[in-house]
Amino acid sequence: MFNKDNKENIKEAETVIGSSIKVKGNFHGQGNIIIEGEVEGSVKTNNYLLIGEKSIITANIKAKDAKINGKVTGNIQIDEYLEIGSTAIITGDIKAKILSIAKGARLNGRCSMNGQEITVEKK
Amino acid sequence: MYIYIYDNFVNQKKYESILAKIETRITDLGLNGKITRLSIMSSLADTIKNELKKGAKTIVAVGDDRTLNKAISVLAGFIADNSCFKKIPLGFIPINKKNNTIAEYLGLNYNESACDTLSNRRIKTLDLGLVNDSYFLTKASINTKNTIIEIDSTYSIEISEPGEISIINLPIISYLPKNFNINAHDGALDLFIKTKANKNIFFNKKNSSEQSVFSFKKLNILNKYSPLILDNTLEVKCPAAIKLADEKINLIVGKKRLF
Repeated sequence: MFNKDNKENIKEAETVIGSSIKVKGNFHGQGNIIIEGEVEGSVKTNNYLLIGEKSIITANIKAKDAKINGKVTGNIQIDEYLEIGSTAIITGDIKAKILSIAKGARLNGRCSMNGQEITVEKK
Repeated sequence: MYIYIYDNFVNQKKYESILAKIETRITDLGLNGKITRLSIMSSLADTIKNELKKGAKTIVAVGDDRTLNKAISVLAGFIADNSCFKKIPLGFIPINKKNNTIAEYLGLNYNESACDTLSNRRIKTLDLGLVNDSYFLTKASINTKNTIIEIDSTYSIEISEPGEISIINLPIISYLPKNFNINAHDGALDLFIKTKANKNIFFNKKNSSEQSVFSFKKLNILNKYSPLILDNTLEVKCPAAIKLADEKINLIVGKKRLF
């Protein structure tokens, strides 16, 4: 279930959604969250959010820090650092203070950092 | 005053020598008290309530997991109605290893060896889970088939693979991830879902099993076909509303407890 990155972060995870799990609704947590499965609705945490490679998220996301490796359809609002992995497919607007995007990642939407909007062209 | 409550099943002849040794050990340790033997006609609930009203200072259940679960449920229910009894400790003497899956986790030896733990009187105040109107100390479990989980009235969970769902208060499950800090004094219950490992037919290897963990305040479990099992013993029909109980239990535990 967990790849190497996940295992490193699981030490402090409050919630882990495995790949055989589908969550529907407003999923709000306080601690670190690891998602390997499906979520429909909204995801919110005051801490770290890790979205695994095979996960499918159809939700607006709000977190302090996040790493996204899976498929996300929805707006993403990150207070601090957002890391987008090479396997990520994002359809939605992104807002983050610090942003890194790996080669191969697909992003369709607007991106703003500290209120300054950067438009990313659709592929 | 100690009140020893022998569960109905220990009245069988094969337990006579074990009970005799327990009674000798109790005397040696100066823990003498009143012994009550449950029968078909006498209920644990009435016995505990009557003894508490008469001034019992410590209740000791003698039996197995089911005995412990019943004693906890009765005592917690009684505390809910009479808060003046909330400091009454509950001791437990597990009879033989069979059907005693919780004792080891509490650091208790079996039979007369458990009396030494009573003597040391190491008391831990532990949270309890509440399912409808039944309490549990360790976990409530149900299989994933046909089960729908609704958490905190805000989201629901669907599980696509077969496996087991556990609502954990005191983690006696051996396959829990070690990195998760689940305990019975954090004021929360945790939902743990383990789906069965799939065999890789090409390499004949087992993949690592699926594990999911959620924290929650209130949870509803719906299943038309399977009951929820509390503390590995008591069956409760669904739909089941699960939450952390307001009541806590003061349990006499051993030095070698696993929490």
